[in-house]
Amino acid sequence: MKTWKIILVAIAIFGVIAALIVWFFVYNKPHPDFIGAEPDMELPAEQLYFDFIDDEQLANETYIDKVLQIHGEIADVEQVDDMVILSFVFQDGMFGGEGVRCTIHESFHEEALSLEVGSVVTVKGYCTGFTGSDVIIEHASFP
Amino acid sequence: MLRKLLLVTFIFMFVAQALAAQVYLTRNGTIRFFSEAPLENIEAVNRQVNSALNVENGEFVFRLPMRSFSFEKALMQEHFNDNFVESHKYPNASFQGEIPDIDDLDLTSGEEIDVVVQGELTIKDVTKIIREAGTLRMEDDTIHGKAVFIVKPEAYNIRIPNRYTRNIASEIEVSVDVTLSPQ
Repeated sequence: MKTWKIILVAIAIFGVIAALIVWFFVYNKPHPDFIGAEPDMELPAEQLYFDFIDDEQLANETYIDKVLQIHGEIADVEQVDDMVILSFVFQDGMFGGEGVRCTIHESFHEEALSLEVGSVVTVKGYCTGFTGSDVIIEHASFP
Repeated sequence: MLRKLLLVTFIFMFVAQALAAQVYLTRNGTIRFFSEAPLENIEAVNRQVNSALNVENGEFVFRLPMRSFSFEKALMQEHFNDNFVESHKYPNASFQGEIPDIDDLDLTSGEEIDVVVQGELTIKDVTKIIREAGTLRMEDDTIHGKAVFIVKPEAYNIRIPNRYTRNIASEIEVSVDVTLSPQ
């Protein structure tokens, strides 16, 4: 009888621990750390943009859901509401200058806003896709 | 001669400005969705919405990368992309339609005007004709457009497994909010 009690208590404790593990590490697992992540690819921003222009489907398969480290000449740094967006521009289109738009992580806003248009910069971030005018990089930081 | 040249230049600049002002655009429109279910409420927001409105003919379009939807919980975001909308196969959603009779509307009044938006909404590999209510309001040089409507996931080939039916609603509220500036 005593042995059964010990087994039941052990099962209960194991169950509670398993539930806590699932709660903390599965259901409430943190978002990926894009700032600390190693880039999956490094390439010029211009190549990234024209890969999407030349063959969007292939570029979707190659770049979306990847951490990319890109470099190029800054065309603009703008504040849109609470977002800071750094742009590399490669051609004119319906939306004006079109290219790669990087939404900067909030911990790098100050650094981004201090950058000068025309300077060359390296940016690392998560590629979410192409809007028809621009390649979108989010959670961007300066490695 | 100089006065004629100045006049022609002025007319050219006015016409060019008027033509350019026919189309209003944004690259950072917002689309949210909200699911209310017995076990939990789920909200996601996408602020990478490209949108354009031609105020001459009412043509209205938007397009967004599905991976730009941001969720509070990483697990939900993962399920959304990998299992439900399959954003690796269908990376964008889009709308192509119009606001009928836009030329009858007085956008310059500065008041919020009720409009109807109709056209083709594409999510995953499914395109549906929708007709929804929205509002437009012109403020200074920008147009604020809003619409809230219901999307049924199953109508767009988004299958929710039985084990998630108490977590995810069968009708999702979608809110579109765009602030459009002249081209």
